[in-house]
Amino acid sequence: MESAISACHRSSSFRQRLATWWVILRVALEERLVYRGDFALGTLMRFLPIITQIFLWRAVFDAVQTSGRADVAGYRFEDVVAYYLLTMVARAFSSMPGLASGIAASIRNGEVKKFIIQPVDMLGFLLLSRIAHKLAYYSVAVGPFALVFFLCRGFFLDGWPSWPVLAVFCASLVLGFFLGYFIEACIGLIGFWFLEVSSLLFVYMLLNFFLSGHMFPLDMLPGAARQWVDWLPFKYLAYFPAAVFLNKLAFPQMLRGLAIEVAWLVAFVLLSRLAWNRGLRRYSAFGG
Amino acid sequence: MAIIEVRGLTKHYRVYQKPEGLWAALRGLFHRRYVEVQAVRGIDLDVEEGEFVAFLGPNGAGKTTTLKLLSGVIYPTSGSARVMGYVPWKRDNAYRRQFALVMGQKNQLWWDLPAIESFRLHQQIYAIAPEEFRRNCDELTELLGVRDLLYQPVRELSLGERMKMELTAALLHSPRVLFLDEPTIGLDVVAQHNIQQFLRHYQEHRRITILLTSHYMKDVAALCRRVVIIARGQIQYDGSLAGIIDRFSKHKIVTLQFCEGQVVDRLERFGQVLQVQQPKARLRVARQEVPRTLASILATYAVQDVAVEDPPLEEVIAELFHRVNSDQQAPDSAGQKVEVETVEAGRRRD
Amino acid sequence: MNNQAIHPPQNEPSRIGGRGPAYLRLLWLFACHSLIRDMSFRINFLIECVSSVSWALMNIGFYWIVFRHTRMIGQDTGWGEAEFFVFLATTWFINSLVQTFFMPNAEEFSELIRTGNLDFVLLKPVDTQFLVSFRRMDWSSLSNMLTAGGLMAISLWRLVTRPENPLKIEPIIVVLYVFYVLCGVAILYSVMIGLASTSIWLGRNQSLYDFWFYITNFSRYPMEIYYRGWGKVLWVAFTFVIPVLVVVNVPARLLARPLSPRAWWEWPLAGFAVVATLASLIVSRWVFQRALRSYRSASS
Repeated sequence: MESAISACHRSSSFRQRLATWWVILRVALEERLVYRGDFALGTLMRFLPIITQIFLWRAVFDAVQTSGRADVAGYRFEDVVAYYLLTMVARAFSSMPGLASGIAASIRNGEVKKFIIQPVDMLGFLLLSRIAHKLAYYSVAVGPFALVFFLCRGFFLDGWPSWPVLAVFCASLVLGFFLGYFIEACIGLIGFWFLEVSSLLFVYMLLNFFLSGHMFPLDMLPGAARQWVDWLPFKYLAYFPAAVFLNKLAFPQMLRGLAIEVAWLVAFVLLSRLAWNRGLRRYSAFGG
Repeated sequence: MAIIEVRGLTKHYRVYQKPEGLWAALRGLFHRRYVEVQAVRGIDLDVEEGEFVAFLGPNGAGKTTTLKLLSGVIYPTSGSARVMGYVPWKRDNAYRRQFALVMGQKNQLWWDLPAIESFRLHQQIYAIAPEEFRRNCDELTELLGVRDLLYQPVRELSLGERMKMELTAALLHSPRVLFLDEPTIGLDVVAQHNIQQFLRHYQEHRRITILLTSHYMKDVAALCRRVVIIARGQIQYDGSLAGIIDRFSKHKIVTLQFCEGQVVDRLERFGQVLQVQQPKARLRVARQEVPRTLASILATYAVQDVAVEDPPLEEVIAELFHRVNSDQQAPDSAGQKVEVETVEAGRRRD
Repeated sequence: MNNQAIHPPQNEPSRIGGRGPAYLRLLWLFACHSLIRDMSFRINFLIECVSSVSWALMNIGFYWIVFRHTRMIGQDTGWGEAEFFVFLATTWFINSLVQTFFMPNAEEFSELIRTGNLDFVLLKPVDTQFLVSFRRMDWSSLSNMLTAGGLMAISLWRLVTRPENPLKIEPIIVVLYVFYVLCGVAILYSVMIGLASTSIWLGRNQSLYDFWFYITNFSRYPMEIYYRGWGKVLWVAFTFVIPVLVVVNVPARLLARPLSPRAWWEWPLAGFAVVATLASLIVSRWVFQRALRSYRSASS
């Protein structure tokens, strides 16, 4: 009897949660659609930097090829372009605009109290709304992305990768999302100790931009630096999924990469929990 | 020649209606609905040099829009205006050097710097001679009692002090015409009073022309002999403050003091009973009924004293605004709205 | 209240007549005010300096890596490492000037429109575009001038002292270089103010900054790299329609190469850059004025 009630209760609360989800999702979508001029420009412009990259690398490869080589660090010209396109996909999953600064701001202005008073876990809540935001974004961005990839299909010289590789690629994208979320959450939570995290965030952004492989394929780094970067979490935010897709890694290497990524993810989840608990204690001790 | 001449001034806006719901938002990408707001609808106005005129009207009646049109900040849809012989929206430097606009809800001083820095900037912008600048700055800050605050960052000033600084900034270049948009909004009674005093004093001595919008009747009563009532983008009344009552109030308040021991009942038959406190009573009586009603009351009861008064001004004006608004078809408080559907792309074929 | 305090209005025909505001003096005041303001948030100022410098260093890092793999950008274009770094330094000279003087103003312009505070700018008896364009200066962005200066010095040194075909820098080139850097700033300014004006029509416009970034992104590379295949369309568009390609290319090319021999199109291009500067200033002013007509003055 009791279990029946609790099951019933659970199911209704689950339904309620679904309803909440749906509302968050819908609002997020609508929000994106209100500024239509903005929106149209935004999705269109997102691919423009790649055009200049294509021309830059075409020119670089022109010079390289006259000296008799066909590739740079194992990348043909087409591979570089495909790489940049794939990092766009990876970044669409792993980038978290406004997350850390938002958390820090809510600590600064006391909005974080809401999460102390209400029976909602902040990290969980933000994760949910982030997922909703991302889904809303993908549902709109999938069009332009598909179009660009279709137009650029010639750059993918080796065509689609095999099914297992594709599976690893998808897994790395999803893991990349979570890794990106928890890294930024940790940075935001530092706001409990330092009021101004924007400078820290900027450092993170720089490192991220350079070491995630967003700027160039990490294989082009000189040997020693290359080894070093391999163990850092940044490369999973852009380089790793792209490299998997382009068959740059043998299967054992892929699995090793995934394992390291999961380890980093677990570390950042624990770290963010710890920071949240410690931070809250500190926050309430100082009376907000 | 009038210093301000306005003929048929009209301003319409198009406002995008954000549709509700996902599907509507998607459709909004191609097909947008606009509502046309007629903020000002054909205003005619003449103001002589040295007048202090108040604009009254409910929220969204078009007062502020009119001031903005006269200061050249926005372009009219149609109509003409001349201020000191200039067309405001041509924004001649010569024109802009001779008037000022102060808005109670916005501030123009540099937030993080002391007010004096903003004033110096004004000195340059308006090319005020150093000697005149110093004299004006001293006088104004002295009169407004903010002299000691000149060197404090503006963000540290109270709302009232900031408003006084705004006024000082606006008057540094000795404008001939001053537009004041709710200069006392949100201020406490003392600060309001200070600013009223200052404005009256300043206007009397300099004989400048001032147009004021305000929600506080006290401001208006203290400062302006002439009142212009704007509602739904049109002028409903233009005349003296006292004239409003004659024109719009259909009632008088009759106060009766009955003799001791007089049993008074069924007063309702004479008019609307406002208050009964034996042996006193207050009635609201339609204006043209007053003589007849008084006669029959005096015939019925023994009355010691009678007073016939106008209702309070605020009441009359509130009633007027209410009437004007309820005449409107759309229940919205903003100016007259006309729905316009604009199909930008992908016109539906019905 | 003291009745004596207010003087009767004075007749000052000179003030109402022709004497305009002193624009240079205004500019000086704006600069001072911005500096005072920046200095009251000193830590912030330092952080911004450091971050913009580190951003620049990271860029150098990227090209350093690229040049580990190639000797030149493009086949026989002459953009080797040292030449390209001269190009890069020029990009930063121009960008940091734009970011110091115009970027904060363009951002604030959108904000002024949104809040309706543009009213006050419109009231002033000073050219509105001038006031909108120069109100704020972001001194911390000037720190990139130092990075750029350092990079420029090192690269020029390498060019001047290289064993084969060392570069000789002639005074006329330096004068022309400065002139064309200023032209480049003017072109970018025009693009920026033109873009910012559109927020009067489009309402809040978040992607404005992105759009600006993407357009100017094209100006960051030697123009030869676009001149192939369908890139020629871009080349034409960004040279003749929105002339951002001449912004860095013209001065950098002048400085990084010997005065002669020159490709036949280089001097016409330099002439064109002057025309493009004037044209974009005129067009952007026209757009600005048109946009002001549609300004609606939001009330708070």
